[in-house]
This record gives sequence, C-alpha cells and structure tokens, in this order.
Amino acid sequence: MKVVIVYTWARDGANAAVRADGTVDWRGAKMTAGEDDPAALAVAKRLAEDTGGTVVGLTIGDGDASWVLARGVGEAFSVTDVPPYADNAATARVIAAAVERIGAVDVVVMGDSKQDPGVAPAVAGHLGWTALAGLDSASAVDGRVAAVRRSATEQQTISAAPPLVLGVAAEADVDTKPGMKELLAARKRPLTTWPMGDLVDPGDDVRSTGTRKPDVVAATLFDGDPATSAAQLVAALRADGVL
Amino acid sequence: MSVESWVITTDEKQVGGMVAAARHLGGPVTAVVVGNRALVDAVAATGPDAVRWVSTAPDVPPEAYAAAVADLAAADLAVADLAAADLAVADLAAADLAVADLAAADLAVADLAAADPPRVLVCSTEPAARVLLGAVAARIGAAVVPGMLDLAASDGDVVVTRAALGGEVIETLVTGGPVATVFVGEDVESGAPDAVDVVEQAAIAADARIEGTEPVGSATGVADAARVVSFGRGVRAKADVALIRQLADVLGAELACSMPIADDLGWLEKERYVGRSGQHIAPRLYLAVGIGGAPQHLEGVRDAKVVAAVNNDPDARIFRSVDYGIVGDLYEVVPALIDALGR
Repeated sequence: MKVVIVYTWARDGANAAVRADGTVDWRGAKMTAGEDDPAALAVAKRLAEDTGGTVVGLTIGDGDASWVLARGVGEAFSVTDVPPYADNAATARVIAAAVERIGAVDVVVMGDSKQDPGVAPAVAGHLGWTALAGLDSASAVDGRVAAVRRSATEQQTISAAPPLVLGVAAEADVDTKPGMKELLAARKRPLTTWPMGDLVDPGDDVRSTGTRKPDVVAATLFDGDPATSAAQLVAALRADGVL
Repeated sequence: MSVESWVITTDEKQVGGMVAAARHLGGPVTAVVVGNRALVDAVAATGPDAVRWVSTAPDVPPEAYAAAVADLAAADLAVADLAAADLAVADLAAADLAVADLAAADLAVADLAAADPPRVLVCSTEPAARVLLGAVAARIGAAVVPGMLDLAASDGDVVVTRAALGGEVIETLVTGGPVATVFVGEDVESGAPDAVDVVEQAAIAADARIEGTEPVGSATGVADAARVVSFGRGVRAKADVALIRQLADVLGAELACSMPIADDLGWLEKERYVGRSGQHIAPRLYLAVGIGGAPQHLEGVRDAKVVAAVNNDPDARIFRSVDYGIVGDLYEVVPALIDALGR
C-alpha cells in the first residue's frame, strides 16, 4: 500500500493567548504536530510494513516539514503557503488536492483532531473515499485495512477496502523525540514543496465576526475551614436532591 | 428566507440539542438517520419535520453509507436546479420546448415534493456521524465548522456560534453559503412531537464491514452510576486512594479518575477514567477531587446534573465548570466531607 501520513496541519491552540477582552492573540503560533500526529504516524507505518508498501509525508502551512522525516519517513511533500482556516473544508480541500497530486495513494492517515474534527472526514469527502474516524489502531490484512476503534465500553474492528482516509485519535501522547542521528538523516531526505496556487483554490474562508470569553456561570465556592466548607457543600447537595 | 437543515445522526446522542439548534434557523429540519429502526424512532421523538432513513445492515458500519447520503443531498441539488429551470421556462411562455419534456420534468419535481438541498448540516462529534457530514459537505460545497453551539439565520447568512480553543473563547462565524457544523452544545429534551413522516431511502454501502465487537475490560458500574467520586493528580500517593474510596463508599458512589491516574500511574482500571477517550457519564452528582479540570476531562461529564469539586487552587480551571466547589487541601476536606455526610 502507498500510505500518506498527513502531519503538522493545524495550529496548537495551547500556543494562542486569550486577551482579557476575549480576542485571541495567535502571534508566534505556527502549525505544529498535533497530539494525534504520532499515533497517526504509527498507523501509517504499520500499514506500509504489513504490505511491503511505502509511507510518504504530507504537511501544509508553516510548520516543521521535517517532523516526519526525522521519524523514519523517507519522503515528504509540503504545501507551504496554506493559512490556518477556520473552515475545516478549506483545509481539507488543500490536503485532498495534494493527495491527488502525489498520486496512486491507497490510504491517507491523519490525526482525528479534537480541535478540527471536520478535516479528516472532509478530506475523504473531497476525495470521494470512504473514511473511518476516531480510530485507535489499524493493520493491513489481505489488501484490506482492519481498523480498531475503542470506546469506553467496547472495541470494534472494521474491515474496509482502500482507498481510505483514516482518522486516528490518540489515547495518550506517544511521540518519541528523534535523536541527533535521525535529525541529521532527515535533512538528506527529499522534501518537495508546492505553492497552494498550483494545486487548488480552497475558496473563501468563513468570516469571523469576533471572539469573546464564554459566559461563566459562577460556581458557589466554599473557602472556609474544611469542616464548615464540607458541611456547606453537603447541605447544598442535599438541597439539590442529589444525595 | 427559509434555511433548510439536515441533522445527520448515527446514534441518539445530542439529537435533541442538534434539532433545537437547527430550529433557530427558522426553516424545515430534516433528520437523516443512518442506523436501525429503533434509532429512527428515538430521533423522530426529538421533533424534526421529517426523517430520511438509511437502514444499515447489522455488520456494516454507518460510514459505509457516506457516499449514499451525499447522493441524497446531490439529488436534492439537482431537483433545485430543475425547479429553477422550470421557473425560467414558465417566464418564457412562448419558448419552443417540447411540452412532453416539460410535463415530465414537472412530474419529477412533484414526485420529490418541495425537496431543497440542505443549506446547513449538523452532526455530533461521533466519528461515524462526522464521516457522513464530511461526505455531504464536500458534495454540496459546504464549509465545515466544528464546535457549534448554536445557529441563526440573518439577512440570508447563516450565523454559527461556536466554541474555539477548547472552549476558551466563543467565536461567531458568518457564511453566505452552505455550512456543515459539528455540534458540541447542550442536549435538549423535547416534548412529545407530532407524528413525523419517515421516508426510507435506498442506499448502497461501500465495501466496509464490522468484523467484531468486544467489550473492553470489566464492567465497572461507572457508566450508569447515579453518583461518582473522581480523583486526579491532587492525590499524592496510591495509598491515599483509600481515602477517596472511603468518601465514595459513604456517598454510595462509584470511584472514577482522570486519565493520568489510570493511564500513566495505573492506580485504577482504565475503565474507570472519565474524559475524552474514556467514560462519558451522566450521573446526578459528579464530585471531582484534586482534578485540575482540563477540557478533555470535563468532556466526559458534560451531561452530569450537578458537578462539585475540591481543589486547593482557587483559580483552578475546574471551578469554572462546576456548580459547587470547596477551596482547600483535599487531605483535610475529604475527611471533613466523610464526617459531614455521616451526620
């Protein structure tokens, strides 16, 4: 299978500062590897290993394009001038166009991001492929993908035929920082860059008319001595009928 | 202007909230249900104007019907084009068009009633529902906006109020075109609605099948408990879990935890952690002890009736999301709570 791992395709909200008036300061917040990217990379590698296939990387925007090259992937493509869109479909259009340009791709694997949960499904929509999201892991069996999805109560295995888009949701951060040897090797690996204009016109982004801080319903806080606070909380919970 | 919306669903979660948000657009709300008959009945009870049902085979995941659902929207688009074409023809009464063709076209339009392409799509965060949404959105050229809390129509635009940055801010987005939204707002219980027409749609599934479903770990009772006491990293040592367990016992509550306690430290079974990738629960009382209140954790208790917390930091994030809080050292507060509850 030829597998594309899509990585470093969104900004990390943790790098944004919310000002007192509710506006957001994104200064210095480049696109970064998301918390699901390492888990997605692991799935991509597994599918290639199972089938004697290859993994190529695809990133968009101003993030570190070598991220995947320093983690064992031999080749990567980067669409450099993609802005961070509020519209997940615009992001997905660029990714889908790049996947088509890479060509002969069987499976696209990417993080099923909590922040941008519409991107992986919309990539599949634009490619006209089947997608499976919220995945824990996947392997290849007889030319098909066996994808595993876990909820709190059950684990489901779905078998699907390529071409596929797989959205992988990390249960925990599984990234392993590359050593100096890998970082040096990454520099020698081919990275092809494309301007977005050569691939696709993603259309106009949706218009933001502003941000504000959420309305906070003030909690009733008890901050006296422990015995008093405990008695107050128990009384409040009894009054609410939940004890 | 009437804004038609589709609520796309593969399970019962949040359907009432999604229909309620779509209602704010002022146009017809169609529920597109991909699942079994029981799901159709549950969704119909939330009060959409119509239900379009794609029946799933037991061993086929809902995602396999994504292209079929997108075809439904595309067919509606074609009908809308046809209706527009007919209007143009009517304006040109003397046009030399084959009368039979025109009549046939009119019939086709009538057969499909007043089908309009959806302008707004809504789904929950469930993976399968999002996949369906993505397919339809691509087919009708819709923007895709996550974090939707509410919808409104204004001067021909659709206004989406959404949570951004993990809920740190509320953003207002405006679009003049079609838009697909992932709903994260509150669920709403609806009253008994009028009978809703259910139209079953023929659909062909893509090549995907469910190979197996296994229960994960042991059943813990956390999922269905009326009261849950949960703890996080504020608890300093594994031996101290006994203190929290004692509080849970006095409350008649199940014991739960945040992700690091189960995942990194292994102090409780994984089935007991609450949050994004863990348990999503709806107890009457959720008491969080020594939990900071990361959005990923709070996502798991969004449907709890009353949330209370104990934390020694008055600025802890958890206090922004609770009904009641005690500011204090849990090693002092928990014994005091056990004592107060025993009285």
